[in-house]
Amino acid sequence: MSEKKLHNRSFEVFGKSKFFASQLRIALRNCGYIDPENLDDYLNVRGFEALAKVLTGMKSEDVIAEIKKAGLRGRGGAGFGSGLKWELVAREKSDQKYVICNADEGDPGAFMDRSIIEGDPFTVLEGMAIAGYAVGSDKGIVYIRAEYPLAITRLEKAIDAARKANLLGNNILGSKFSFDIEIRLGAGAFVCGEETALMQSIEGHRGMPRPRPPYPSASGLFCKPTLINNVETWANVPVIIVEGSQWFASVGTEKSKGTKVFALAGKITNTGLVEVPMGTTLRHVIFDIGGGIPKGKNLKAVQTGGPSGGCIPVELIDTPIDYDSLAKVGSIMGSGGMIVIDEDSCMVNIAKYFLEFTQSESCGKCTPCREGTKRMLEILTRITEGQGKEGDIEKLERLGNTIKKASLCGLGQSAPNPVLSTIRYFRNEYEDHIKNKKCTAGACSKMIRFEINDKCIGCGACYETCKFDAIEMI
Amino acid sequence: MKTPLEILKEKKDAAEKHLKEQGYFSKKRVYVGMATCEIAAGSKEVMEEFENAKRSGLDIYLSQKGCAGRCHVEPTVEVIDPEKGSVLYTQVDPKKAKEIIQKHIIGGEPLAEGEK
Repeated sequence: MSEKKLHNRSFEVFGKSKFFASQLRIALRNCGYIDPENLDDYLNVRGFEALAKVLTGMKSEDVIAEIKKAGLRGRGGAGFGSGLKWELVAREKSDQKYVICNADEGDPGAFMDRSIIEGDPFTVLEGMAIAGYAVGSDKGIVYIRAEYPLAITRLEKAIDAARKANLLGNNILGSKFSFDIEIRLGAGAFVCGEETALMQSIEGHRGMPRPRPPYPSASGLFCKPTLINNVETWANVPVIIVEGSQWFASVGTEKSKGTKVFALAGKITNTGLVEVPMGTTLRHVIFDIGGGIPKGKNLKAVQTGGPSGGCIPVELIDTPIDYDSLAKVGSIMGSGGMIVIDEDSCMVNIAKYFLEFTQSESCGKCTPCREGTKRMLEILTRITEGQGKEGDIEKLERLGNTIKKASLCGLGQSAPNPVLSTIRYFRNEYEDHIKNKKCTAGACSKMIRFEINDKCIGCGACYETCKFDAIEMI
Repeated sequence: MKTPLEILKEKKDAAEKHLKEQGYFSKKRVYVGMATCEIAAGSKEVMEEFENAKRSGLDIYLSQKGCAGRCHVEPTVEVIDPEKGSVLYTQVDPKKAKEIIQKHIIGGEPLAEGEK
């Protein structure tokens, strides 16, 4: 069998251009490198070797120990230790356990899960099967949003092909282990990315979160022990098994191991997907890999973690990307959206944009999130329309902190982050909007005023072109 | 009894043989990006161009691939020569696809591409 390493293999094809040079591809290792609909291609890059290795000579405790030693943390946002999660599910005694892949990617501007499924669906199946073996489950479910039709088709084809090759189904590869995977489609509600809401949705109920505990590991889908991980987490699992936890743990920082995929978007020259080792600085990602800001503009801030994350100002651009450092500066790793903001953007307006999203996606079950985000949005809208009042900033802070503390699920607990972080770092912009009724970036259209100054010679050009007959000839 | 690793090895050898029969290791391989993002950028027309050429006798191993993450230069096409290595083409449209076929695949001379 070929002994070539799994990670970074794709660089044989892509070469070492500036965009790829400092990336390390583990989860994305096969994306853009193999035919996602061809099992032969996946087998040719040592596909399913990890599963076979596990089935041949590893006990379930060994597998969990490997994942724990690797230090893999959930890539969906919260960063919970995957090994520990697996162990908790493995410990439960039950006639039925479930393994779920969370592919309900809802952050605006994030598309790493879609890319992994569209580019390398087999790796997700393999990761889930390994987990099924480790925790003692024979049933996997991929919960994916219906807005990803191509990803769904590829996943269906991959499941079919794997079943035919006895890589899924009964007695996989001649062993005693049986595991099958089915697909469940989500209707695209943001809150269904939250694990308890996701399971409610699979059960056929309205997607609403429920209080934890009990955690899914004890009582999850249909009240059975359930292991739920994000697409990117699953994609890391086969590499850990084949290349060893020691190698995996050597990548990244002390507390955040491995790599993270980011979807670079916004005001950046090279938009795209990048996978870098944990601990890489934001500066490196934006300026070296991303190619900097177009049109010679200056960087103002970076928003990580999508609508649940925060804005990190340019002064903190040397912050290393890992779970704890990002939390320290008031943002989160999240699922990996990275939106670059340049000097032409108004931070109040950006905070309003994200809050508009979370507010409309709030499921309405708990009051702090339902009412709180609504009120916050009202205040923000007022500020961007030039109607801001003295004390609005303090009110936003108070409301935001209450929502964070009192909300039922991650959606509400993180919804105020964009507002709180922009107040923390760009308070002067809020003050400018409220006190001076001025939006320096010129993004809040209702606050812009036009004046004709003394240089006017009455040429009439504005009279000719005005679409609203606002200039009168007297 | 065979172990799962041994069974997998058989499957892998079969896969390799299958790929070999299709010319995976001997012919020039052409990969066209066919993820949602690439298709939106126009890769379906590019794929058609290569498919047509293959139907009319061009001896290549043609395949789709997922998204490598280079959104700013999609659609992308890679031509991998088993002997000479790979060449990446970016922002490919049907016209550029025709050029790639004529100059690179038939003529053996890769098109000039700036670093992206």
